[in-house]
Amino acid sequence: MALNVRYVARETGTNLRRNFSLTLASVVTVAVSLTLFGAALVFAQGVNNMTARWQGGIEFIVFMQAGATSEQLDSMRTALEANPEISTVTFIDKPAAYEEFKQLFSRSRDMIESVDQESMPPSFRVEPVNADADVIQAMGDQFAKKAGVREVVFALDTVKTMQRVTNIASFVIIVVACFLLVAAVLLILNTIRTAMFARRREIEVMKLVGATNWFIRVPFMVEGLVHGVLGAAVAIIGVQGLNWGFDRGLSNNRDLRMLEGFVITGGQMTFTTLLLIGVGCVIGALGSGIAVSRFLDV
Amino acid sequence: MIKLENVTKIYKGDIAALRDADVNIDKGEFVFLVGASGSGKSTFIRLLNKEEEPSQGRIYVAGKDIGSLNAWKVPYLRRNIGYVFQDFKLLPNKTVFENVAFALEVIGRPSHVIKSQVPAILELVGLSQKLESFPFELSGGEQQRVSIARAFVNRPLILLADEPTGNLDPATSVGIMRLLDRINRTGTTVVMATHDRGIVDTMRRRVIELDKGHIVRDQSRGVYE
Repeated sequence: MALNVRYVARETGTNLRRNFSLTLASVVTVAVSLTLFGAALVFAQGVNNMTARWQGGIEFIVFMQAGATSEQLDSMRTALEANPEISTVTFIDKPAAYEEFKQLFSRSRDMIESVDQESMPPSFRVEPVNADADVIQAMGDQFAKKAGVREVVFALDTVKTMQRVTNIASFVIIVVACFLLVAAVLLILNTIRTAMFARRREIEVMKLVGATNWFIRVPFMVEGLVHGVLGAAVAIIGVQGLNWGFDRGLSNNRDLRMLEGFVITGGQMTFTTLLLIGVGCVIGALGSGIAVSRFLDV
Repeated sequence: MIKLENVTKIYKGDIAALRDADVNIDKGEFVFLVGASGSGKSTFIRLLNKEEEPSQGRIYVAGKDIGSLNAWKVPYLRRNIGYVFQDFKLLPNKTVFENVAFALEVIGRPSHVIKSQVPAILELVGLSQKLESFPFELSGGEQQRVSIARAFVNRPLILLADEPTGNLDPATSVGIMRLLDRINRTGTTVVMATHDRGIVDTMRRRVIELDKGHIVRDQSRGVYE
């Protein structure tokens, strides 16, 4: 089957132009739903990054002094692991602590430049067996007195609340986004169907002169794909813009210092971008795929 | 070239459009299908193109049993069959040239083939002066010539025509019949359903008469009645 690119491009172009208002509706719906989806994802990632230290039931962290000897570290580890009230202990060494610090304060160059790896305190992240506040407090205080300890930091209620609220908020946003995505698929389906209706004479002639099914279908499939990809492109710009605005807001506002650690890494942004393009393609292909298979039979 | 064996076509609600038809049409024949409206002429033609499936029986086109043809092969069957309609079915937003070129383009013919074959076929049907006209600028006879050009540009083995003169006046019809006759002389098998008594009686070709789905007459060099 000779499917020539120029033919597909021309037919798809004509369809997109003829059907401009419906095309616009499809693209906007895809864009809005994917922007919500992407924003929820980025927000959740940001909160995750900010509260990375406190993930998975970590209730307190024992920070050792930067100059703590290896004997002091070993004895602390032994003491923590021997304690029956403690279920898991994770050791964060200097390089790991430095990496985390760099990410947490990536917005403040001067802060990062003022420290180096050697000055970072190694730490133990502790997950106790039960989460009773008094027990945890007593246990933390007990370890705070040991040799080489700089301080013991407890999980703040604000951190926990923030994690909970973020989880709920992202979930709700993603559910709404999913409904919108379904609407986008249906809109694309109907747009393609309208395009096929507008070209029913051409399609009839094509069938009679022996055009293959795929030859007839491909321009419509490409049209749906274009809707999805255009919508995704708009959504990517939207999400990047939101992130940029948020970032600027944080950098300039002293009151929001506690959100200092809210940073999206380049890798996470790339992942989100690729995901949005992927979802856009899937939506476009799905909508047009259903349309051509349901309404274009020989 | 075309062979029907015990072909019956029953539509929903027990309406029989064709009953137990046995027909054999050789390569290069010119066949008129005659009969009242609803006698099964159109069904006969649509079955050959695999637009309809027979309820019973077998149909062979160019030696192939088209009942056992895979769905994806149907387009290739149709490339061997030209099809002309009473209502022309031209694309109103395309010029004469584009209408004919479209038929080649959508079966993947390269553009240099299109550029050489389309003007040649339009010359054959006598429209070389109207390449850039749109269908609405043409008379009915001219439109039918475009549609014949489109059906024949791919040099099919068979040309099916469903009342091609049904919308045309007698004088114009004669011109169309000359054209179909000329195409038939190139070796193309022509099957034409018609109501036009004058044409059938003048041409004196094979006539198959249908009545309520039955073949009641199959006569070489026949007349309308």
